Amino acid sequence: MQVVKLSLKKANKIPIEADNVNPDNFAGKTKEEIEAILVWYGNGQCPLGDLFNVEVEGSDSVENTKIVIEGDVSRVKRIGQDMSAGEIEINGNVDMHCGSNMRGGKITINGDADSWLGCEMKGGEITLNGNAAYYVGSGYRGESCGMRGGKITVNGDVKDYLGEHMCGGEILVKGNAGLLPAISNNGGTITIEGSATMPASEMKSGTVIIKGETSDLLPSYKEDGTEEVDGITYRKFVGDVNAGGKGVLLIK
Amino acid sequence: MSEILIKNASVCDPAQGINCEAMDLCIRDGKIVESVSENAKVIDAGGRLAMAGGFDGHTHSAGKINVGRFINPNDARKNLVPGLSGQVARTEKTRAQVGYNTPNTYAIGYRYAKLGYTTICEAAIPLLAARHTHEEFKEIPILDKMGLSLFGSNWQVMEYIRDKEPEKLAAYIAWGLKASRGYGVKIVNPGGGEAWGWGKNVSGLYDPVPNFDVTPAEILMGLAEANERLQLPHSVHVHCNNLGKPGNYATTIETMKMFEKVKPSRDRQSLHVTHVQFNAYAGTSWRDFETGAPMVSDYVNGADHLTFDLGQVIFGPAVTMTADGPVEYANSRMLHEKWSNQDVELEDASGVVPLFYSPKSFVNAVQWAIGLELALLVKDPWKVMFTTDSPNGGSFVNYPEAFTYLMSAKKREQVISGFSQMALDRMVLPGIDRELDFYELAVMTRSTQSKIYSMPEKGNLKVGSDADIAIYDLIPGQVDPSAEHEKVKKAFSGTAYTLKDGEIVVKDGEIEATPKGRVYWVNAKVPETVDTAMQKDIDFKFKKYYTVSKSNYMVEDAYLTKPVEIDTEGVF
Ligand SMILES: [Zn+2]
Repeated sequence: MQVVKLSLKKANKIPIEADNVNPDNFAGKTKEEIEAILVWYGNGQCPLGDLFNVEVEGSDSVENTKIVIEGDVSRVKRIGQDMSAGEIEINGNVDMHCGSNMRGGKITINGDADSWLGCEMKGGEITLNGNAAYYVGSGYRGESCGMRGGKITVNGDVKDYLGEHMCGGEILVKGNAGLLPAISNNGGTITIEGSATMPASEMKSGTVIIKGETSDLLPSYKEDGTEEVDGITYRKFVGDVNAGGKGVLLIK
Repeated sequence: MSEILIKNASVCDPAQGINCEAMDLCIRDGKIVESVSENAKVIDAGGRLAMAGGFDGHTHSAGKINVGRFINPNDARKNLVPGLSGQVARTEKTRAQVGYNTPNTYAIGYRYAKLGYTTICEAAIPLLAARHTHEEFKEIPILDKMGLSLFGSNWQVMEYIRDKEPEKLAAYIAWGLKASRGYGVKIVNPGGGEAWGWGKNVSGLYDPVPNFDVTPAEILMGLAEANERLQLPHSVHVHCNNLGKPGNYATTIETMKMFEKVKPSRDRQSLHVTHVQFNAYAGTSWRDFETGAPMVSDYVNGADHLTFDLGQVIFGPAVTMTADGPVEYANSRMLHEKWSNQDVELEDASGVVPLFYSPKSFVNAVQWAIGLELALLVKDPWKVMFTTDSPNGGSFVNYPEAFTYLMSAKKREQVISGFSQMALDRMVLPGIDRELDFYELAVMTRSTQSKIYSMPEKGNLKVGSDADIAIYDLIPGQVDPSAEHEKVKKAFSGTAYTLKDGEIVVKDGEIEATPKGRVYWVNAKVPETVDTAMQKDIDFKFKKYYTVSKSNYMVEDAYLTKPVEIDTEGVF
């Protein structure tokens, strides 16, 4: 097992782009080597060690590497981007694009996450013990496919556009979702235990389950009997008819 | 006085009939000269291939491409041709670059220059949006630029044709070119842009345009007459009716035939038909769709009044952008794709739709084959301009890949081996063994362009021509393009040297300098009396219909960097 502990030397106003901070890039590296990794800070690059305190215990493969980030990193973007294995634990709030394009491994966030959490994720698992902002599990601007695989669990609320353009994988939100969750979906499963507004517009395929209250159900959904999931009976809707969709929307 | 001596180049310059001959090239003050002094800076070409700077005669690189950019922000991060696409950070010499099909303006300049190209012609300038096109031109470094102005669905044009006022029509074209600082007359799906304003299209050459009582055939003949009356350097540049529809090869040939009777006013073609790949389809539906290239090339082989360009397809993502509004609507519906639709007031329509050409789709495979069939079945390369209609058939950064298709039957076989039997049954490409040599490739990428645009100082290495030169890391005679197509592709992907007006702008595939290029436009002289009468008519149009006033419509000199005005004398 290799454990790498990071904490900011001082709070930063200018964002840090930490797309290099992942187990793939840290595994087998010494403290000095990790400190020398370059990250973008504003419009220039600087060594990670200039911004973070770095502690390293052990040396191991990617699968057996864990990165623990202590403290608020709400101005540090792209932590865990592209990671394929291993683990990241963030004990604080985190900035945008955490776990973007993640392919495997696990990220646990004990705090809130800004927008684009797990966007275009292809595998692995993200657990957020806090609230998330916009576009959880979505696609990059203009892309037709967001999250394709893996699982995102949000134990708090999420803001608008949850799982936009999602094509696969699973999202579970224990709290409430904002406007237009599951917009333009083409696969995958989204479960919202709290409330949601205008869900699944332009959905082509996939499943959306809303256990709480649904506001402004779109008129472009056809009711099609009921369906039981885990012992609970839902009203079943199929659509979005506007997009020629065959997605399944289950609501109370 | 700056002098350069390029020693020991293997020069390929079809305009002079020079086919890979060992020569020196002399440059003084940006022009090719007979000889230079001993003080000249020496570039040792080491026997490598030298051609005039490439000339893309039909590309969408300024104007409508911007709609492509904002409809497809994800294009910014696409990097399918490393070195010529994707995100590249700013350097001391270059600005930041993004994109693949719709790169930012700076990337367009740098990437063309890396391919050895030094001149581009933007294929569609809506008069109303011409200021924007020129604003983009201003920010495309290195390259010389020009553009074709759209006239094919213009109210004033259709009215003058209906009312049989050829003189006023010519005056309007002259004014439109001046207003848009354009180089020539572009006609897109004649009449179709206007019909699209009513949710309709025209179905062929003799289908009347709603409310104007003229047919596409009349629009084509009227504009051709005006084009020749004004003695414009280029012929009319036509995107035929029925583009993208199975069976459209018949309309294409019919259009070509119609121009047999048009007498060119200069030593050039009387018709240029653009991206013929999209207009050489046989069959009656997408089910029995097949190549129409043999029929089209048969006709072209027997004709001597026209030139055309390919619109070659490149597999992968592309972005279609055209003034052909109804075609883009059909594309977006058929492909379930994003769609941008614009109405250009009294002038035209336009649309943008991204799409993906897959070798697994039999339609796309046949489209890919049709472009190559046209290039290889038409015997005279001087009738052919190589294009991908960038980025409609694919981004220009794929030209080196496409060159290998033309130069190597082996390379074609490699691609074809991935096609379905159904696709193979619908094309004739597998039976074609012709392979272009460097000379023929130079014709299709430089010499034809120089000829059809009447730009004698471009696309050749004659004494007096612009010293726009590409030196590729290939030694003709020591490389077999048929077998060593990878080597050819690599060499064409980044020149050893690109010179623009005698300045080294690319060295070893990297940008060395980023001078500003020129903008060419045509000022056709018209008798004052005819002009005054015509102005009255357009003043009425501006007063009654346009959302802008005439004074806010004209492209002013301030928009042009290093403008070059080409004067012609109208015959009235
Ligand atoms: Zn075009």
